[in-house]
Amino acid sequence: MHTIFVKSEEEEYQCREDQHLLVAMKAVGKSCIPSGCHGGGCGVCKVRILAGDVERKVMSRKHVSEEEQQQGISLACRVFPRSTVTLEIYESTTHQ
Amino acid sequence: MSVMRLGHINVRVLDIEEAVDHYVNVNGMIQTHVDPLGNVYLKCWDEWDKYSVVLSPSDQAGMNHIAYKVKSDADLDMYKTRITEAGIDVEEVPAGTLEFVGRALKFKVPSEHEMYLYAEKEYVGTSVGTTNPDPWPDDLKGVGAHWVDHALLMCPFDPETGVNTVAEVTSFMVDVLDFYLVEQVMVGPDGDIQLATWLSCSNTPHDIAFVGGPVSGLHHLAYFLDSWNDVLKAADIMSKKRVKIDVTPQRHGITRGYTIYYFDPSGNRNETFAGLGYLAQPDRPVTTWTEDQLGAGIFYHTRELVESFTTVYT
Ligand code: FES
Ligand SMILES: [Fe+2]
Repeated sequence: MHTIFVKSEEEEYQCREDQHLLVAMKAVGKSCIPSGCHGGGCGVCKVRILAGDVERKVMSRKHVSEEEQQQGISLACRVFPRSTVTLEIYESTTHQ
Repeated sequence: MSVMRLGHINVRVLDIEEAVDHYVNVNGMIQTHVDPLGNVYLKCWDEWDKYSVVLSPSDQAGMNHIAYKVKSDADLDMYKTRITEAGIDVEEVPAGTLEFVGRALKFKVPSEHEMYLYAEKEYVGTSVGTTNPDPWPDDLKGVGAHWVDHALLMCPFDPETGVNTVAEVTSFMVDVLDFYLVEQVMVGPDGDIQLATWLSCSNTPHDIAFVGGPVSGLHHLAYFLDSWNDVLKAADIMSKKRVKIDVTPQRHGITRGYTIYYFDPSGNRNETFAGLGYLAQPDRPVTTWTEDQLGAGIFYHTRELVESFTTVYT
């Protein structure tokens, strides 16, 4: 279990290594990160990882460019924690 | 009316193995072909043509194209003329360009979606055959969907700048492709802006639907199930398989369908849809939903529109 700090929302919750960040968040009834498709396709869950080790599954290039990915920008539904993680909501590039 | 039905939909996926696992083991489709580029072709057990879904490996989710089947080869000539006369570029692609499909017309509808019309696709038969068939086959997987029923496409819409491709694509489908309008959502101070439309080319309440949004995209593709019980069981199966459900079993006010919205592993929304709703006919009066009742139109029980309905799509 790792602690996820959502800095921009001043919220935190626990996430297992085999859960992505949104599944664990929704399981405890929180909504500090926008949640949508949980498949890395829709882009609503865009975050910037400020600290911590994570593993990331492939995510839609339409929503996260290679450069952004190098800067720690990710779709939260594709991120699996490997340590305590601190992140902030990234202004969404999707349909809003 | 010579467009018969939705023939197939080509969807982009981020991980082809995960996608195939979902479309086979959750939706219950049968894999029928893999082409040299790695695109995977699937059909439902109750469909007789070679495929109704094509999964394409990609670095993003969404829809590549949607294809409708017309009744006869001569219809393609007729539609080619009509689409051209409507001021839309149409390309005729030779047989085999779409695998197992005869010559086809390729064009972009006013909402920027790529569409094909074709008259022939290789016949393989349903899983129960045509002679003294059982009502359903053994060894169905997942929800065992009967067929791909319809798709809902998101269309660029911004009334402040006068952009309404929902209205444009709806006119195109009606005037050029002979679909008819079944239901619509009208918004704006005077209730005269078409935000969403449901159109039929058959006797079911919709064969395609369009909803306005910031950008063009795929809202969902829907599978037909028999009954409300099947919809409930489908939701059980999705929970068991840890499929991300967007909206649990519920009734749509619009079309009266019983529904579940859920996502494939790349975030493309799927729907299981049951209930005929009503007999759609070209002379049936069009049903109109007003802006203040939009919630009930989409989700009849809660009467609330969930934000994800218009913001989450691929
Ligand atoms: S929820 Fe859709 S990309 Fe994460
Ligand atoms: Fe639908």
